[in-house]
Amino acid sequence: MRDTTQELERWLHAGGKFVGQIIVMHTEGGWELRHADDARRGELAAFSKWEDARSLANFDDTGAYRALKTAPNLRHGWRLVLPDAQAVRLALDYFYPAMIGVWLAHGRGEIMPVEFHDTLARQTGMYRITQKLTHEQAQRLIAKQCRTNGGCLKTILWQISGDVAVPLLPPEKFRAGATPVDSMPLLCHEGCNFLVAAARKMVKDESPAP
Amino acid sequence: MFQKTDSALVIAGHGSTLNPDSSTPTWKLAEEIRGRGIFGEVHCAFWKEEPSLRQILHCVDREDVYVVPNFISEGYFTKSVIPRELGLGEGPTRIGRHLVKYCDPVGNHPRMAELLLKRAAEIAPGVPPEKTSLFIVGHGTDLNENSAVAAKREVDRIAALGRYREVLNAYMEEAPLIAEWDRLATSPNVVVVPFFIADGLHSYEDIPVLLGIATESPGAASADRSSVFAKNPYRLRGRTLYYASSIGTEAGFADVILDQVAAFDARHTA
Repeated sequence: MRDTTQELERWLHAGGKFVGQIIVMHTEGGWELRHADDARRGELAAFSKWEDARSLANFDDTGAYRALKTAPNLRHGWRLVLPDAQAVRLALDYFYPAMIGVWLAHGRGEIMPVEFHDTLARQTGMYRITQKLTHEQAQRLIAKQCRTNGGCLKTILWQISGDVAVPLLPPEKFRAGATPVDSMPLLCHEGCNFLVAAARKMVKDESPAP
Repeated sequence: MFQKTDSALVIAGHGSTLNPDSSTPTWKLAEEIRGRGIFGEVHCAFWKEEPSLRQILHCVDREDVYVVPNFISEGYFTKSVIPRELGLGEGPTRIGRHLVKYCDPVGNHPRMAELLLKRAAEIAPGVPPEKTSLFIVGHGTDLNENSAVAAKREVDRIAALGRYREVLNAYMEEAPLIAEWDRLATSPNVVVVPFFIADGLHSYEDIPVLLGIATESPGAASADRSSVFAKNPYRLRGRTLYYASSIGTEAGFADVILDQVAAFDARHTA
């Protein structure tokens, strides 16, 4: 049987340190997670249960809800002290849902990226309208929603359709290997529901009035 | 109770991009069931949040996976969206290295009536049921959901027990309207239980406004969301009104999830 926790622990012991905006530090009693900006800061609010990660992950510095956990707006000012790798894994699953699993699956060659065009083609109900999104609109949409600075930290593994790339974002946004060795890449193998919802809004907003 | 340490459990919820409380009951259930040590691993997956239904199987170590939808009724999400997003066929489905066993949604379970009764008794302690009208409130007018049908089914089950003076179904957007609760109910005491999975805009704000126990003030709900449940009972329109939080926040849902897993096994090994 596979053991995600064990693989995470192996990575941490081999020098893995950064997951998104979080730094994972080895301590005498176990592990400590902080916002990477707070790595050397004192006077942080201390938390000691992996379940605390959910409320820490849910709100940004202004108290606003962070629906997209890979948005670059993780709140500051806390440290999460955890006893073992299992607790680190569960906490990271709250901070960056699915990212450990997708990263490991990518390393095993199991990830099959889905073109954005296919993601939209699958939609039904209120999202069916997104099938009208043009390539040009998709490029603008992705450039805005997925940009690392202010949008989403994930590396995009998919294309819009066939050879239609997203030229409005820098090439490293699409290269999993561009992540530093001590950082876990946050990988996106398919456009998320946030992007699909934004596509719906764009199609509706930019459609000519009937 | 069974042990399935060689299997994983995935609780599938709706989630929300606007309201952090939407996924809270699903996460709480996962924590509760994980704590019991029944499954080898327990995960959540959502339609509108991450981990998504498209990501979740990459996170599951064990090959044998039960998926239980944390939804109040069978409908568009449980019949179309979740199977499509996971790539399910009929019965147990092999997806990559996983064998995925898709169970019935929690809201279908016969114990819903019992949980609704428990919630109603807790919110109005010492209030005699024979002098009380109990409302089960659904959304209504959901295009493809059967939440109105599900609410009516629970009303019929509870009414058949004969404990409450009357048991009524009401909806936010279709008749019988919850806004007319004082005309629909004939008892001096009225208990209202929302038949929703999570507390959110509907239970914090919309239903209280329709009941007349809150005023329409956009954003007020976010300031102190749960205070509406702490102010019971409300005395208005000549009645005593007790308003409960959504049924999906009831801890007994953990057992319902386990029952849905057992029911899947019973169905597919028979």
